[in-house]
Amino acid sequence: MRLGGGTHEWRVRVWRASLGEGLGITMFDFNVIYLGLALLWVTSPFGNNLHHNENATHGQFAFTTSESGNYLACFWKDGSHQKDSELTLGVDWKTGIAAKDWESVAKKEKIEGVELVLRRLKGIVETIRGNLIYLRDREADMREVSEATNARVAWFSIMSLGVCIVVSVLQIWYLKRYFVKKKLI
Amino acid sequence: MESKWGKIWGLIGLLLLNFVNNVSSLSLTITKVECVYEIVRSEGDIVSGNFVVVDHHIFWSSDHPGLDFSITSPGGDILHNLKGTSGDKFSFKAPRSGLYQFCFHNPLSTPETIAFYIHIGHIPNEHNLAKNEHLDPINVKIAELREALEAVTTEQKYLKSRDAVHRSTNESTKTRVIGYTVGEYMLLTIASVLQVIYIRRLFSKSVGYNRI
Repeated sequence: MRLGGGTHEWRVRVWRASLGEGLGITMFDFNVIYLGLALLWVTSPFGNNLHHNENATHGQFAFTTSESGNYLACFWKDGSHQKDSELTLGVDWKTGIAAKDWESVAKKEKIEGVELVLRRLKGIVETIRGNLIYLRDREADMREVSEATNARVAWFSIMSLGVCIVVSVLQIWYLKRYFVKKKLI
Repeated sequence: MESKWGKIWGLIGLLLLNFVNNVSSLSLTITKVECVYEIVRSEGDIVSGNFVVVDHHIFWSSDHPGLDFSITSPGGDILHNLKGTSGDKFSFKAPRSGLYQFCFHNPLSTPETIAFYIHIGHIPNEHNLAKNEHLDPINVKIAELREALEAVTTEQKYLKSRDAVHRSTNESTKTRVIGYTVGEYMLLTIASVLQVIYIRRLFSKSVGYNRI
């Protein structure tokens, strides 16, 4: 995937992805085409700086996510460039099951060919199942919030009518008492 | 023995190529125009993806008409053009290989954040079997299976993004119901107290007897 420079001048390109916790390795492979000078920062959701690279034309970086949230990878165009020079970034960003180092798994367990491929497919299926469970739990949460809001809307509307009536009764009672006291009635 | 090893490495090599294109959901903030480029390696690959506008930052739903989205092929033709969307899925068969452009345009000045995901699927078809002796027919079936699983994953990413939007709408509704109702009660009470005070003043001695 590439984020282009666009027709307007840009100083920084930010690559932001929302990642869950403990996602295993997130691999991050980038290369800068054309005048090749860039500054790279990778930060975690809490602002910890995970990776810093200056004057980079290409690089590779992998990390394990410990918090869930938005991870930012920022690329700055070096100040030595002209303002309008276009800098193309090619970024290959893999997370979760796609980032797993399959060559080392193949060597370690001495499997190859179709068996290795089927292992990868099994990994994908497990990811799918995890996603389904996540979605189901979220739906359950939201259903509870929706039902609570539904009950509240009804209850608060009736209560607002009650408040209205109570307040006007109090008004009339007070004014009557006031006028009687002032001997106007 | 030699040809078997060669076959296996060829198989692994070919299948690894399919895995290079797996990326996670990308968050983009669009102020005016933002484009994402992706290389499609061979003609006939199926490009599928989705995007959802999250974090609307709007008060009424008519505030923001949505984003414009377009897909441009390497030849410059516009394959897909959507105006005023707040999220959509797309899928097409690439007519040629090359660099495809996915562009978002924001008609208003408030920046919008979107969650974006693309997957490019390649299935080595039967045609290549004749050319490449290292290709086993089972590879085609495995590639098809993998593409089916990737389709499910793509759909799940879309559902996750939509779920996030729905959740923020829900939370906002809950806050609004409680906040506005309490505010309404307080305003009502204050208005009636002010009414009483005003009526008292009208009848007070300094204004004079029987003026009213």
